[in-house]
Amino acid sequence: MRRTAGRLACAALLLGLLALSAGCAANAVKPWDRDLLAEPQMRYAPNPMLNAVDDHVYFSKEGSTGGMDVDGGGCGCN
Amino acid sequence: MQLATGGLSPSVLGRLRAAACVLLASGAPAIAHADAGATTKVDASLLVYGEQNRAKVTEPTARLTRLFPDGQTLSAQLGIDVITGASPTGALPSGVDSVGPPQTYTTPSGNVVTVPPPPPDRIPLSPFKDTRVALDGSWFRPLGLLTSTIGGNFSREKDYQSLGGNAKVSLDLMHRLTTLTLGAGLNHDSVFPVGGTPVGLSAGGLPLSRAHDPKQVVSGMAGLSRILTRRWMMAVSGTRMREQGYLTEPYKVLSILDPATGHSVGQLTEKRPSTRNRTDVLGSSVYHLTRDLVYVSYRYYWDDWSVRSHTLDLKYRHALPGEAYLEPHVRFYSQTAASFFRSGLVQGDPIPEYATSDDRLGSLRTGTIGATVGFRVPEYPGEWTVRAEYIGQFGNRHPGDVVGVQRQYDLFPTLNIGTLVVGYSITF
Amino acid sequence: MSEPLRAVDAPDPAEPAMSRAGDHFVGRFTAMASPCEVLVDTDDPAEAEVLVHLAEREAHRIEQKFSRYRTDNVVHRINSSGGRAIRLDDETARMLDYAAACYEMSGGMFDVTSGALRRVWKFDGGDRVPSDSAVEEVLRHVGWSRVTWQDAVLTLPEGMEIDLGGLGKEYAVDRAAALIAAQSTCAFLVNFGGDLFAGGARRGNRFWVVGVDDPERSGRAAVYRIQLARGGLATSGDARRFVLWQGKRLGHILDPRTGWPVEDAPRSVTVLGPTCMEAGTLSTLGYLQGPGARAFLEAQGVQFWIL
Repeated sequence: MRRTAGRLACAALLLGLLALSAGCAANAVKPWDRDLLAEPQMRYAPNPMLNAVDDHVYFSKEGSTGGMDVDGGGCGCN
Repeated sequence: MQLATGGLSPSVLGRLRAAACVLLASGAPAIAHADAGATTKVDASLLVYGEQNRAKVTEPTARLTRLFPDGQTLSAQLGIDVITGASPTGALPSGVDSVGPPQTYTTPSGNVVTVPPPPPDRIPLSPFKDTRVALDGSWFRPLGLLTSTIGGNFSREKDYQSLGGNAKVSLDLMHRLTTLTLGAGLNHDSVFPVGGTPVGLSAGGLPLSRAHDPKQVVSGMAGLSRILTRRWMMAVSGTRMREQGYLTEPYKVLSILDPATGHSVGQLTEKRPSTRNRTDVLGSSVYHLTRDLVYVSYRYYWDDWSVRSHTLDLKYRHALPGEAYLEPHVRFYSQTAASFFRSGLVQGDPIPEYATSDDRLGSLRTGTIGATVGFRVPEYPGEWTVRAEYIGQFGNRHPGDVVGVQRQYDLFPTLNIGTLVVGYSITF
Repeated sequence: MSEPLRAVDAPDPAEPAMSRAGDHFVGRFTAMASPCEVLVDTDDPAEAEVLVHLAEREAHRIEQKFSRYRTDNVVHRINSSGGRAIRLDDETARMLDYAAACYEMSGGMFDVTSGALRRVWKFDGGDRVPSDSAVEEVLRHVGWSRVTWQDAVLTLPEGMEIDLGGLGKEYAVDRAAALIAAQSTCAFLVNFGGDLFAGGARRGNRFWVVGVDDPERSGRAAVYRIQLARGGLATSGDARRFVLWQGKRLGHILDPRTGWPVEDAPRSVTVLGPTCMEAGTLSTLGYLQGPGARAFLEAQGVQFWIL
């Protein structure tokens, strides 16, 4: 049961990757359309300091690991 | 004869940049961003965290980053965590019984304290006080389409030490519309509980040795980020982590219950397997409205201890005048219990190979609601961030694997947590 | 509108003057009525000279093409067209597209047809200002909205004129920088009359250091020092060309919607941008906001220095 859930998640990940990488050259974002993308808040973690605080708080109160980053050390919790 | 200055659209910059791009398309040394030699950045923050009736944490951190003209950065961060308060031992309420409540407690602080016995129908808590110091450094290097980040971390508290390193490489493809990221990390931790490491699933007798118990963590991640339209970007990533070594919580215990009455008649130290394989998959999206932004992320996690969890995080950044913003935030989290999670053991039943009563490995749900405000003080440099949040943690109040009087007790009182973070950042 | 593109009266040295300054070379020449310098971070004098020549030839090419003082270029053809439609070459067309975009996004403050206002304003430090009727009369020949610009064909009504002085120098800086970057991997800095572009950190991973001129002690003191690796810097200000009127200092940059200079304008506005064109346009727009300059530039999220 848990292995099926794991495999389902892997499949979802691969599907996600494929969907994202399907290079739609037709709607490629032109250089002059990158105004919004250049803004500092246009990032997945616009506030890295708060994210780090969160990672620490939830890591010590829950049983899961974080998301995108492999950095950050351990502590005597979780 | 001066006209009012109104009437000029607030963001002329984007269109201007676009127009210049077209004019100079014949040749301009295109750079994405110009920065007048800021050479140093300082970020400081203070977290104040309080669980109702339980632990309180104060955590100041400071980060110093040195910026170089070619985009390289070198940064170091120091954080100090001061934790005081009480946390559940994993034991169940004692119930009224002939043995009577304990007169004293052993605590990881290394002190012997005498505290009033807990009410017989409440989860026992153990007081503690600890200070943790964490140091980490990182080196970021852009090299054309490739960027690399190399980091190291070290932390130390009374009974735990962690040392590790990590590296991440990102590659920009398709005119920087797609970014592929690969990362790896290695951590070497050691646990040295006050009073020695107890033997697992024992009555807490003399420890086998006072040596430091090691724990090794190896992790790898891969991610893909794509800019979909002028306003929208999405990313997917997967992380795999393998932990090996001493993974048990040395101070947590499980209660042994009398099968007839359900009173607690003794306890055993907990024991967890010595390996753990953990995987998570994360999808994130950032969407830019006219002035505001929407951030959505979802993470699915599973490991070979049977813990599975879903996390959904939503933020809405509302732009305020003067470069300020208000960002409400909600987060939903739910997790299933580890396969060896037991609320308690029944006397006479065989002792399992692994068992834990630690709520963090049980079935639980967490809900967070809060908001962040970011602003600058006019005439003064630097940016401020203030965030206040409520976190509520809910679990199984009446689990099925207890007997007798335990069935009447609330074995997972709702945990109410409040946090306040104040941050300040300045570049010069 | 910054310094005009003007054919030089005095004879020009034929070759740029090369000199060595510490660990880099500096080539100096005059173009567009301004002192120009090109800094090249190299130990090779021959390479430095090649790059300086590249910049100098491009500066003179653009001056020749877009100066309103010459009678042998496309600008003269436009300004003496007498209302007839003219087809323009690709580069001039793109310049006018940029000018049109600036006009539109600035609500009419940035207008390449505002040169006609020079007929009634003389910025010589004196205190003569034109009469309201004189300004009104000349304003009938100002306004990009009166121009027909479509598919590289321009129709300029009789009596109006095009002045690319507000764009030419910054354009020349960016073009010269592009040519140098295509030719060499050396770090360099191109500075035409105070509008500049830095192309790369100096050897040893060091910044270029640019001083922001002190309006009170022009040329002798820097109020700020900006450290720069890559990017364009441009300054708009009134330091040398102004009119004193009723105790107020009126700069030489005129608001084409009123025909008058900006009141209470800052002494100087310096903006940093990824290209010199962008920095120059924003510094002009910022300056035209008068007392609202700081708020405007903060809203754009760019780095700027106001004196």
